[in-house]
Amino acid sequence: MKRPVCGLLARWLPLAVAALCFSQSAEAHVQKGEAIGFLTGLRHPVSGLDHVLAMVSVGLWGAQLGAPAVWVLPVAFPMVMALGGMMGLMGIPLPGTEYGIAASMILLGAVVFFELKPPLWVAGSLVAFFAIFHGHAHGTELPPGQNGLLYSMGFVCATGLLHGVGILIGLVHRWTWGQMFLRLAGAFTASMGVFFVWKAFA
Amino acid sequence: MKASRHWCVALIMIAGAAFVPSCTAHETRPAYLEIKEISPDHYDVVWRTPVNAGMRLPIVLQLPPEAKSVTAPTTQELTDSLLERRSIVVAGGLGGKRVDFVGLQGTITDVLVRVQLIDGRSWSTIVRPSQAWIDITPNQGRLGVAGTYVAHGIRHILFGPDHLLFVLGLLLIVKNRWMLLKTITAFTVAHSITLAIATLGYANAPTLPLNAAIALSILFLGPEIVKVWRGESSFTIRHPWVVAFAFGLLHGFGFASALTSAGLPSNELPWALLSFNVGVEIGQVGFVILILLLERAFRVLEIRWPRVVEALPGYAVGSLGAFWTIQRVAILAGVMR
Amino acid sequence: MYDGLLHFLLSPEDIVPVVALALLAGLRGPEYGRRALFLLPVSWFVGCFLGTMFQWATSWPVAAISFLIFGGLVAANAQLSLRAMTVLAGLLGLVHGWMNGAGVPWSFSLVGAYAGLVAGVFVVVALVSAFVIRLRPPWTRIAVRVAGSWIVATGLLLLGWSARRG
Repeated sequence: MKRPVCGLLARWLPLAVAALCFSQSAEAHVQKGEAIGFLTGLRHPVSGLDHVLAMVSVGLWGAQLGAPAVWVLPVAFPMVMALGGMMGLMGIPLPGTEYGIAASMILLGAVVFFELKPPLWVAGSLVAFFAIFHGHAHGTELPPGQNGLLYSMGFVCATGLLHGVGILIGLVHRWTWGQMFLRLAGAFTASMGVFFVWKAFA
Repeated sequence: MKASRHWCVALIMIAGAAFVPSCTAHETRPAYLEIKEISPDHYDVVWRTPVNAGMRLPIVLQLPPEAKSVTAPTTQELTDSLLERRSIVVAGGLGGKRVDFVGLQGTITDVLVRVQLIDGRSWSTIVRPSQAWIDITPNQGRLGVAGTYVAHGIRHILFGPDHLLFVLGLLLIVKNRWMLLKTITAFTVAHSITLAIATLGYANAPTLPLNAAIALSILFLGPEIVKVWRGESSFTIRHPWVVAFAFGLLHGFGFASALTSAGLPSNELPWALLSFNVGVEIGQVGFVILILLLERAFRVLEIRWPRVVEALPGYAVGSLGAFWTIQRVAILAGVMR
Repeated sequence: MYDGLLHFLLSPEDIVPVVALALLAGLRGPEYGRRALFLLPVSWFVGCFLGTMFQWATSWPVAAISFLIFGGLVAANAQLSLRAMTVLAGLLGLVHGWMNGAGVPWSFSLVGAYAGLVAGVFVVVALVSAFVIRLRPPWTRIAVRVAGSWIVATGLLLLGWSARRG
């Protein structure tokens, strides 16, 4: 497993570097606000602990579930999340987003903690259901004067990368100590979720 | 029969090349801006806009908001242009600020800009409608200078088709990776030497003959590429690095003239020189990698090119080299402007 | 020439669908890659001139729709026929080229700008599709599909933005 990861790094690193250099020159060329939109979008999901923990948990759970789920979940999540974001942008209200996000942390943390392995469609719909809340809450917070497309791209990339982090961490699942570690991480997420619910009520 | 067809290809490409500069040449006269720092933060500005058939070009010079006029602007009407002089004070200096040419985007006019700063830097540049502003580079620290000149080096090599065409020609001649490495290294070492010598003022090459010689170096590669393509051999094909080194010395002088015309900070000269060269290398290596990747991509996609297309890069290098040689020799001889 | 190239490279609304098409062609193999490589730049070029000629642009969120279609096809790893791919590539080039061309006043230097733009399209398709064809381990192909789903997600959000603005 180690080798393909190295290979991937070797393949993508030049691209990433190029992208970085390029983004700099882009910043100089495009109107300033536009290029910053991507960075804002990239930074946004990472800035909220609730979002980060839920995304990483999706990755962790996928790694626990193994073969098909490990990629079905990350494929499905961004799309459904974007659907939620689109609803938010179109002004379709979604009641109780705060609670939905906190609940998603509790539930996702719990399934990781108990290492539940439901059928794929159950896992998929559970993740999709919560994805809508995350999208609705975060996809719409575009600072004024920035490019919506670049913001969206950054937002989606950051979310996907968080899943990737979750899956990478989930690779430790093959060892017994790793399984223990993952469950602890699930417990942490769930307890943070409880904390957020308490905060929302207080 | 075959040879005549090749001549046809070459002729068409020369004709095409002759077409290229007419795309960029505009028939209108450029506007002109001169900014001269006479004491710290205190500038004299001369702004001339051409008048066509009694109509003034709708370009407005927009100085940064910090600029305060010391004397009221004086306007002078010449036969074909409007001359505006003023004296301004900019708190904190013009460095790092932007001068906009509002309305330039809607025209096909260029603006010649000449800036002279009190720290000894001076440069001229041309502002085109596609980017209707100039950023005055501040008197930066070392890192800032490096950034500016690295970017400048990259821009120079990527936007100077003659250097890229020469590198492309070399790529078409070399056969394997080892030879590629040797050739590109030889080119780099050679142009670094002359770039340094010329920039530090130890030697100098007159611009017009230099440009003609650079064009000649590209023309020289054309027949060699055709030889490679026909499976023949020659000294160049066996030892491309020798040719790369020899002509690299020429191209280095070309880089030097680009660097000096961009304006050099006299106090950070070696540092700027080094950064500029690094930028040139980055651009050059990037171009080489792009070409190699494309070549590999074509193989992965299992493309079988027709023979005419396969010969095209060689003819492009040769024809453009020929065209530039003729053009630049004509300029040198004073036939063309 | 460079203006066109830079414009393309700095316009995510154009470059992302091109990448998506290249990913799609790459997943299907060299034959599809070749088709996309040669058809897309040509149709794009034609589209540019049509757009400049007619000077009319639709108010539809074209970019978002392309994101959804091509991202979706990549995410679904759609087993397209070569003919369907041809039609899609032709449409993509025509429509996006048209949008590039519309709103640009006619001038001679435009030919150069469009040539630069199309050269950018060509290079991106060549590199991306060849890269995908070379991918061997199965998980890397899944990574390509994940990239497709990201494109769809961006397209959905973009659709939301244009709905809000409109």
